[in-house]
Amino acid sequence: MLEKLIAIIEEQLNVEGTEITLESNFKEDLKADSLDLFELVMAIEEEFGVEIPSEKLENFTTVGSVVEYMKANGIEI
Amino acid sequence: MMKNRVTELLKTEYPLIQGGMAWVAEHNLAAAVSNAGGLGIIGAASAPAEIVREEIRKCRELTDKPFGVNIMLLNPNADEVAKIVVEEGVKVVTTGAGNPGKYMEAWKAAGVAVIPVVASTAMAIMMERAGADAVVAEGMESGGHIGVTTSFALIPQVADAVKIPVIAAGGIADGRGMAAAFLLGAEGIQMGTRFVAAKESIVHAAFKERIIKAKDIDSVVTGTSTGHPVRCLKNRMTKEYLRLEQEGADFMELEKLTLGSLKKAVIDGDVVNGTLMAGQIAGLIKSEESCADIVKGIVNDAEKLLGTSQI
Repeated sequence: MLEKLIAIIEEQLNVEGTEITLESNFKEDLKADSLDLFELVMAIEEEFGVEIPSEKLENFTTVGSVVEYMKANGIEI
Repeated sequence: MMKNRVTELLKTEYPLIQGGMAWVAEHNLAAAVSNAGGLGIIGAASAPAEIVREEIRKCRELTDKPFGVNIMLLNPNADEVAKIVVEEGVKVVTTGAGNPGKYMEAWKAAGVAVIPVVASTAMAIMMERAGADAVVAEGMESGGHIGVTTSFALIPQVADAVKIPVIAAGGIADGRGMAAAFLLGAEGIQMGTRFVAAKESIVHAAFKERIIKAKDIDSVVTGTSTGHPVRCLKNRMTKEYLRLEQEGADFMELEKLTLGSLKKAVIDGDVVNGTLMAGQIAGLIKSEESCADIVKGIVNDAEKLLGTSQI
């Protein structure tokens, strides 16, 4: 479930060992810059076999916002 | 004859673009580059939208060749500027600092070629998918806001990652740089620093002189700690900035030092306290030349080096 997404986030943002919750903010808590977010989305796409339009990226502020997007688009995570 | 997918897209004589430098890329410079056979760019930066409209109209008075507008997407005026380029019939837009996805539909409908500046392959792939016509792959040798990867490493990787043409930027100021970029997989180049020092550039003489006198190791990167790294030439301001950064100063304190500092350098010629945005290649630039001479010289040298068959 959520574990898979968290594993991707840990790997892409090099934040293994940091507590990641739905409230974790990519920029503030996980210190991701804009290039990191592109990498993260590409990795999520690959893992879940989806295509996320680039204009959605600016809505991805927290881990929860990604989860919501996935749910809204019928993607099992 | 350098005809390829980029000249076809831009409708220019040469596959060469001028960077959309804030304060520097105004109508005089843009028109001069376009008249020289490249693509001049008006940098909208944080200018009010109506000023951008004026700049477009003034540029059109100086050239009947195509030119473009660079839109900085983090700018609060970006929505308005995005509309103005369509209203004014601008046919090429380059974008910086973000993601032009939400404007793509309107631009495409108006026949605007969209060329985002990217600093990674993932960003290039996302932009291609969103409908970009080409990308500018900009290495961290560039002046101003930069990414982390060098041109030498970035260009071939982006060229492999996307099918749309790649325009190389960062560290290019002569024909050798252009030829090298083509060998790495680019089909065009974008130059900033070389045009900052051009005759037609309105940049203050003192700033131009700093570029002309600059050596290979004269640039530094400020703002790494804030997540917004900027490359500029060393001066008292950068020394103070880097000292504060090392001491762990917060964003607001650092901002105070650079608020309005680019304008100080470009317009007022304050080379001590201003931000002298310039790339690592500044050291290669030895004189103030006209855009026509710059463009012709670079393209001729690149053609010689590459041989016509390669282009």
